[in-house]
Amino acid sequence: MAKVILTQLKTKNSTQEDLKKTIKKALEQLDFDFKKGINSIVIKPNLCYYWDYSTGETTDPRVVATIIDELRNMIGKNVAISVAEADASAMKTKYSFDVLGYREMCKEKEVNLVNLCEGEIINKTAKVGDKELNLPVNTILLKADLVVNVPKLKTHNVMGFTCAMKNMFGAIAKPYKYSYHKVLAHAIVGINKEIKSDIVIVDGIVAKGRYPKKLGVIMTANDVLANDFVAARIMSFNPQRVKYLKLAAREHVGEANKIDIIEDNVKMSEVKAAFPCYSHFRHRLSWRLQLKLLRLYGRIVKDVIPPVLED
Amino acid sequence: MGKLHLLNALHIDDVSVIAAADKSEKNRKSVERYGVKTYDDYRELIDTEKLDAIIVSLPNFLKKEGVFYAAEKGVDVFLDKPLARNLAEANEIIQKVEREKVRLMVGVNYRYFESVQKLKEVFDEGRVGNVIITTSDLILNGPFSHPLVPAPVPEWWLDKKLSGGGALLDLGYHLIDILVWMFGDLEIAHSELRHSLNLPVEDAATLMLKSKNTEATCIVNAGWFSRSVFPDFNFRINIHGTAGYDSTDHYAPKNMRVHAAKEGLKNFLRRIAMKEVHYLSYTYYYASFFDILKIFFESINKGTDFPIPLNDELETMRIIDTVYDKHEEK
Repeated sequence: MAKVILTQLKTKNSTQEDLKKTIKKALEQLDFDFKKGINSIVIKPNLCYYWDYSTGETTDPRVVATIIDELRNMIGKNVAISVAEADASAMKTKYSFDVLGYREMCKEKEVNLVNLCEGEIINKTAKVGDKELNLPVNTILLKADLVVNVPKLKTHNVMGFTCAMKNMFGAIAKPYKYSYHKVLAHAIVGINKEIKSDIVIVDGIVAKGRYPKKLGVIMTANDVLANDFVAARIMSFNPQRVKYLKLAAREHVGEANKIDIIEDNVKMSEVKAAFPCYSHFRHRLSWRLQLKLLRLYGRIVKDVIPPVLED
Repeated sequence: MGKLHLLNALHIDDVSVIAAADKSEKNRKSVERYGVKTYDDYRELIDTEKLDAIIVSLPNFLKKEGVFYAAEKGVDVFLDKPLARNLAEANEIIQKVEREKVRLMVGVNYRYFESVQKLKEVFDEGRVGNVIITTSDLILNGPFSHPLVPAPVPEWWLDKKLSGGGALLDLGYHLIDILVWMFGDLEIAHSELRHSLNLPVEDAATLMLKSKNTEATCIVNAGWFSRSVFPDFNFRINIHGTAGYDSTDHYAPKNMRVHAAKEGLKNFLRRIAMKEVHYLSYTYYYASFFDILKIFFESINKGTDFPIPLNDELETMRIIDTVYDKHEEK
């Protein structure tokens, strides 16, 4: 049975000690067998923008630093750990690693910092439903004994809902991932079929919906789909109506039904009530309508449309 | 900004857009659909076409080269701000245009916001008395802004040698330019540059300037560090005087979407009534780009002086250069 553990930090400003205790306890509760010959670990945070953790958009480097410490405690000091992220359409890791504090953190923790678009990359063909997708993947992810997915608890302007499965989409070794946006649901499911997240640790310390909010939540799971089903409910989405979650359940990417939700020191309903919900459907509809009206206005009045609003 | 200038120029009366140059084929194609001839090298464009003026919208490290080439061919220039990467380069540019007897106007479009124009009027008329303190803020996401179709930040922005600087030169330039316009000579009393994003260029700058003429204290806060999405616009100038205070916020739209709807409707009615449309007024922000370009071309056509003295731009560059020098010494 898939397990999802919901915990909340005791302090609002997430002290190091609090973070350490919370992540340690959550990992212990997962009952994951850390003794089964793990030599290499890849941690995949969400670093898709240049906006730091305080905006709720990207994973807090302190969370990743704590995970590194705890994994070393549980597995051994000599385990090879890499923190990995790929370049994105509007983000280059060579800057974001510095901007978001990852280069400094990885140096301090003596772990590798990897741009997944560099190094040995192989093309995987993922069959999802009736579609076949070509997905370039860095072999570091394929060779890892343990993949730790560290997404954010936040909403996404295209998908609406986003969490662990969408975070893995960011691992595709191709900078211009915008090219997948027409088949986004299939691409998300495809990459999660190719790369299995062994553990998911969601950084909900600062969550992001309509605005960023300090929730102090850490969610841990041993199943990527189960994690996303729970996260979706927290963010007031019906997981059965999120296209890629539905597709992932159909493709058996993970467990969608038998989920053991452990509410450690916080109730799911409390987190849901505190999350700053945002109707992305309404937002997208309103943007689309505004852009359509703008184009109509431009044609009738012959006014200038600024290039920034071109699609 | 080059494409925006081109679209604006196409809508200005008595202006014929002859051609555009861009290294990128995609960009060239995107303007060819407006019937504009294109070149992949601006030098070829200048050599081939007969021009009265040229808009130079190049990355900072190419500005000097672009202005020099146009000046040598006797073409007047509209140049995107900042004037240059540093004071020495700014002086070279100004000396060159003077030597070649061509005219240069820097595109400091913030002067043409309705809110700034109104605040300047209040200031000039002394309606708030003697201004003792002025504060100015321009804090956005700088080069990290996200268009509808995401694109990577051009790397020259983050290389100090190529860009000349960060938030101070990019956004602080507008604020200092307006303060120079209002107060004249300014001296630096204090300055602070921050690198909170761990980039080679600063992402935040705070300056305290003193007006030599009026002894007013002027605070400048410029930053690239804040996530903002169009039409959010975190810009204001507040003047605090002996007879009261005023702010650009008093003259700026409270709600950008309501403003867009109102202005769109007004323009629609203007079009029906065959009156002149106020281009881009619905965006508030981009209208200033249209207005400043229109004034540039009107001055060219009428043979009058440009309304933005180059000395103001040199003074702005002097202040910025002094701050950078001071912090490099540290």
